[in-house]
Amino acid sequence: MTGKGGTGKSSVTAALGVAAARTGRRVLLIETGRDEVLPRLLGSKQTAGYAGCELQPGLRAMRLDPYEALAEYLSLQLGLRRLVRGVLGNKGFRELLDAAPGWRELITLGTVWHLEQQTHPAGGPLYDLIVVDAPATGHGLTLLDVPRVVAAAVRAGPLRRNAERVEAMLRDPDATVLLPVALPEELPARETAELVVRVRDGIGIPVDRVVVNAMPAPPFPVGLEKLDERLAAIPPTTKIPGLPEPGVLARCARHFAERHALASEYFERVGAWTQLPTVPLPLLPGGVETREDIERLARALVSEEGQAT
Amino acid sequence: MNSGVEQMLLTRRVVVCVGCGGVGKTTTSAALGVAAARLGRRTLVLTIDPAKRLADALGLEGLGAEPTALPREVLARAGVAGSGELSAMMLDMKSTFDGLVERFAKTEAERQRILENPIYEHVSDALAGSAEYSAMEKVFELSQSDAFDLIVLDTPPSQHALDFLEAPARLMAFLDSSVVQLLLHPAFAAGRTGFRWFQRGAARVLQTIERVSGVGFLEDISEFLLAFEGMSEGFQARAREVQALLFGPETGFVLAAGPGTEATAQAADLLRRLDATGARLEGVILNRVLLWPGRAPDLELLGGPGRPALAEALRAGPRAPEAADAAVDLARRFAEGVRRDAASAATLAKRAEHAGAFLRKILEFDRDISDLDALATMADLLVQTEALES
Repeated sequence: MTGKGGTGKSSVTAALGVAAARTGRRVLLIETGRDEVLPRLLGSKQTAGYAGCELQPGLRAMRLDPYEALAEYLSLQLGLRRLVRGVLGNKGFRELLDAAPGWRELITLGTVWHLEQQTHPAGGPLYDLIVVDAPATGHGLTLLDVPRVVAAAVRAGPLRRNAERVEAMLRDPDATVLLPVALPEELPARETAELVVRVRDGIGIPVDRVVVNAMPAPPFPVGLEKLDERLAAIPPTTKIPGLPEPGVLARCARHFAERHALASEYFERVGAWTQLPTVPLPLLPGGVETREDIERLARALVSEEGQAT
Repeated sequence: MNSGVEQMLLTRRVVVCVGCGGVGKTTTSAALGVAAARLGRRTLVLTIDPAKRLADALGLEGLGAEPTALPREVLARAGVAGSGELSAMMLDMKSTFDGLVERFAKTEAERQRILENPIYEHVSDALAGSAEYSAMEKVFELSQSDAFDLIVLDTPPSQHALDFLEAPARLMAFLDSSVVQLLLHPAFAAGRTGFRWFQRGAARVLQTIERVSGVGFLEDISEFLLAFEGMSEGFQARAREVQALLFGPETGFVLAAGPGTEATAQAADLLRRLDATGARLEGVILNRVLLWPGRAPDLELLGGPGRPALAEALRAGPRAPEAADAAVDLARRFAEGVRRDAASAATLAKRAEHAGAFLRKILEFDRDISDLDALATMADLLVQTEALES
C-alpha cells in the first residue's frame, strides 16, 4: 500500500487485513512507520513491535524496524548472535548505518521476502496474504526501486542475490500487487496518476486498481437534491426559533453539496487518469479511529459497489 | 503593524515548512512564496518532495533543477507588484551532488574517478537519505547567492520531515567514523582481502560487511571513499556551514497542520520533536479550518424545536418536513466540524504560544487550492493582521 501522505493508507491496510482474515486467509500486516498505529486501529492495546502480535485468529501485525531486521538477518547469515550484537553495538558501525543510504529499504523488502517464504506447520505458506503499509509516495517509490538500484550497483555476492530475489518477488504478478490509496482531491489525484505510471511502467510492479478513500456521502436525501437552493430562497427575515438564520443553514448545506460534487469529479478523474478500476471507500465524518470504523471500511472494501454509508 | 507571518517573511533568509502528509504543506509553501513576493522580496520556493506537486500548485507545466521564474503577468494576477519576484524549483539530488564534487575535487582525475564510480552513480542518484543532505546543501548554496532574498523550503512529508535537519550532523559523523577512516586507509585498497588491523572493532565490522555483502562490494565502497578522501575536508566544512545556517538566526521554521484529532496529535508530536532539535519555530499554520458562518450555534437547540418552523418555511417545495430534518442535520454536522477544528486550533495555539510562535488559521476553501488564484487568496489569509477568531 502506498499513496500520498494523509490519504489513510494505514486505515485501508487495517481494513484490508480484516476483510481478508474474514475469508479465512492467514494475514500479516506490516507497518514501516516510526510510530505503530495498526494494533490501536484494530482495537488492541498490544504493541506489535518487530516480534509481532496476534490481533485476532488469522490476523497478525508487526512493525518492521530496519535495525532489528538487520540484526536478525546478520544472525541468520553468520550464525553467531554474539558477534552480531558486537558488530551492531559498535559505535562506528552505528554511525555508518545512520548515514548509509538504501540499506533500510533493502532490509525492509528483504524481510518481507523472507516472511513470504515461511511455511505453516500444517503445510502451505505461513501467511496467505502480507499487506505492507509502505511509506508515502515519494519515499515509497524509493523503497520499491532500491532492489533494482542495488542489483545494478553491486557486482556479485549475497547482497546482489538478495536484491535480485526481492526484485523478482516485486515484479511477479502472481505474488505482488501495489495498491495505491488516493483521495478525491486535486493534488492527491494527480499524484496517484503519476505514481501509477512510475510504478507500473518504471519499476515494473503490477497495479490493478486504485482505492479512493474518504468519499463523502451524497449530502441530501434522494429527491431533495436542491435543498441548499431551497434554504437560500427562504426570506432572511423569517424567524425560526432555536435555529441559525436561513442563510447560515443554506451555507452549511451548500458546503456539503460542494464537497460532494468536487469529490465525485475527482473520483472520476482518478479512474480516467490512471486507466484503472477505482474502489471508493466512504468518508467517516468522525474520522477513522476505532475498530468499528475499520470494520465499516472493510465492509465497503469488499461490497459490490464499495460505497457503504 | 506587521503580522507574525509578514515579520517572518521580511526578516528571514530561509523559511522551512514542515508537517505531516496531507496537511497542505506544499500549498502552504507556495502561498508563503506568493505572500513574500508581494512584500517585495525576491523569493524562491524549493521543494524536495520527489512527487512534483509544487508545479501543479503554481500552475507551472513542470519544474526543473534550476529556478523557474513566474512571468510578470502571472505574478500580477497573484497580486505581486513592484520589485517582488517568485521562482520555484524542484531539487535534483544527482545534479546537486555532482555540483559538490565539481566544487571540491582537486583535480580533473579525482573528479572523474568519483563521477564514474558505480557506487557513487547509484547512491547519489536513487537511494534515499542523500535527498535530505543535498536539499540542505542546495538551500545553503542558494542562500549564498544574491539572486534571492528569501528561500521557502517545502520538506518531505511525515516521518521524514525532520531527517533533513539531522542530515549535516549525520554526514559529519559518518566521515569521522572509525569504519570510514579504516576504509580510507590506503592499506585496505592495497591489501584487498586481508584484514590485519589494529583497530579491531572496526575491522570486525568490515569483515562482517564483506561476508554478507559479497566480495567486491567493499572494494567499490573503498574506492568511492578514497576518491572522496581528498574532498572530505571540504565536505565537512560545508556540512558545518549548512548546519549553522539551519539553526542560525537567518532561518525560521513553520509547521503546517491539518484539523482533526489524529492530525492534531501528529502535529503536536512533530512540534515536540522539532523543539528537541533546537530549530526556531516561527509559527503554526492550521489549514482547512471550518468556521461557523454566523453567530455561534447552540448544538443543543439544533436538535429540535425549530424544525416545524423550518418545514413551514420550506413548504413551497416537496417533502418539507424531511427537507427540514436534512437541513438541521447538515447544520449540526457542520457545527460539529467547527467545534472539532476549534479544539485543534486551541491545542496548537497553546503549543505555539509556548514557543513564542504565531498560529494562523486558514479557513477551508470551497474548492481545492490548486491554482494561482486560490494561492493568492490563501496568501491574503496568511498575512491578515487580525487572526481569524471563531
